[in-house]
Amino acid sequence: MDITVFVQNFLNGLSIGTVYAIFALGYTIVFSILGIINFSHGAIFTLGAYFTYFLIGGLNNGSGILANAGLPFGLPFVLAILVGSLMAGFCGVLIERLAFKPLRTRGADPLLALVSSLGVALVIVNLVQYLIGAEILSFPSNVFGEFVNQNPSINFNFVDPSRPIPIRTVQIIIFAVSLVILVLLAYLINRTKFGKALRAVAENPITASLLGVSVDRYIFLTFLLSGFLGGLAGTLVGTSFSISGPYFGVTYGLKGLAVIVLGGLGDIPGAVLGGLVIGLAEAFVPGDFSAYKEAVAFALLFIILLVRPQGLLGRRLIQKV
Amino acid sequence: MPMLEIAGLSVNYGGIQALVDFNLHINEGEVVTLIGSNGAGKTTTLRAISRVIRTKSGTIQFNGKDITRSEASSVVSAGIAQSPEGRQVLARQSVYDNLEMGAYIRNDRKGILEDIELQFNRFPRLRERKAQMAGTLSGGEQQMLAIARALMSRPKLLLLDEPSLGLAPLIVREIFGIIAQLHAQGVTILLVEQNAKIALQHADRAYVLEAGRVVLEGDAKELANNERVKQAYLG
Repeated sequence: MDITVFVQNFLNGLSIGTVYAIFALGYTIVFSILGIINFSHGAIFTLGAYFTYFLIGGLNNGSGILANAGLPFGLPFVLAILVGSLMAGFCGVLIERLAFKPLRTRGADPLLALVSSLGVALVIVNLVQYLIGAEILSFPSNVFGEFVNQNPSINFNFVDPSRPIPIRTVQIIIFAVSLVILVLLAYLINRTKFGKALRAVAENPITASLLGVSVDRYIFLTFLLSGFLGGLAGTLVGTSFSISGPYFGVTYGLKGLAVIVLGGLGDIPGAVLGGLVIGLAEAFVPGDFSAYKEAVAFALLFIILLVRPQGLLGRRLIQKV
Repeated sequence: MPMLEIAGLSVNYGGIQALVDFNLHINEGEVVTLIGSNGAGKTTTLRAISRVIRTKSGTIQFNGKDITRSEASSVVSAGIAQSPEGRQVLARQSVYDNLEMGAYIRNDRKGILEDIELQFNRFPRLRERKAQMAGTLSGGEQQMLAIARALMSRPKLLLLDEPSLGLAPLIVREIFGIIAQLHAQGVTILLVEQNAKIALQHADRAYVLEAGRVVLEGDAKELANNERVKQAYLG
């Protein structure tokens, strides 16, 4: 492969890979605390993108019952993405209270939580379709400011000055934002009291409560953080491409699942590694086969799980009798 | 007024009666031990006090305050810490972080650092291993860590669940040396043990549990000489 094409694919892969990582971390932290896969995480991704779209003052050009509606104000994008993701976070909390907690307090099988979260996902998708419509919503091209609007791509010529490599500016911004989020998250989980308590709850909720940690509060915070990360990832992908409608998050939801299984269920560094691997693998799918790009994540998952059933960084599960 | 007073406590555990009309009290500064065979309800008692299992009836009062319906986390804030059965150290966190987590309810950074130092002086082995993941410690070291971690919340009452379980005699002696030290320093302790001999040696008073009921109680030295206790538990 030509070196410039290689570098271009690599950078694009890193950019989308970090977004996958952020999204997958939302799955992972919930799994590590409750041992369940939250199938509504893809719908949260969708909601985050819609929230931010409307918070910046975007109009609904869909044909749902709220056709042509919009907020009477528009927030600056940075504020909108934070508020929008936070709203997605609270949707996550709501889902926990409505779909997971009642099952948990009754001691239901974790498999049932999976089904109920799948139900929530369907409700959200249909609600969005009913209210907003099935049409594509696009963020304005100047959402990241006039500079990005004027310079949709930046040429890098560090490999070969005679053949500059164009990289989409949005892609660079998304990569930078994702990287900052990942670093903050690593700090939060590894260095702060919150993170240590969160890991204690994940390891053993009874021991954590014997130390004075309110497990219920940490479950709340976990869903808030998970939803925030899901909503943020949705917005970033939405600005990079567009919001493809109510089913926007479905493919990403499945891909996120591939990412965490690939990295090792419940493993935080594994989710980041898994995201990067899948992002890079997709970026290197030759143009002729780009229609099959989505299949790459799952083919990769299949092959890796044959060799390492516990995922790349996962611990082997020991079934205790 | 006793520091801890349990009255008429009943607990059902998976359809069986784990505790039946259970009464117990602990005065400040006492070491009280709860002995009995496997499944007698000893661990259930500690779990009920720490509020990590549901109780069916009865009351638990701590320093005159009813904690029967409290959250597990607020029991710790009230001043009761537990070193649970099987140590339950946070295997994937360092020894140091485990100690820090023991002080979760506290916010006095300086006092916490001083107390970590205090635990390291009490258990020098933990200082040597402070950066090590707790899961890689030996059983004895994990037991020391579990006790040190419980002490980090500066509890008024310390609950110890089977601190001798699975440990070599030499380590058991070391652990009980620390328990005697804590007793001398005035720490109030409720000690659950299967090793009745060593427990009775270190306690002021004792309760003997059989199938969820208290069958004997009294002065630890006297119980150690009781024929029934000798036959059943001291072999």
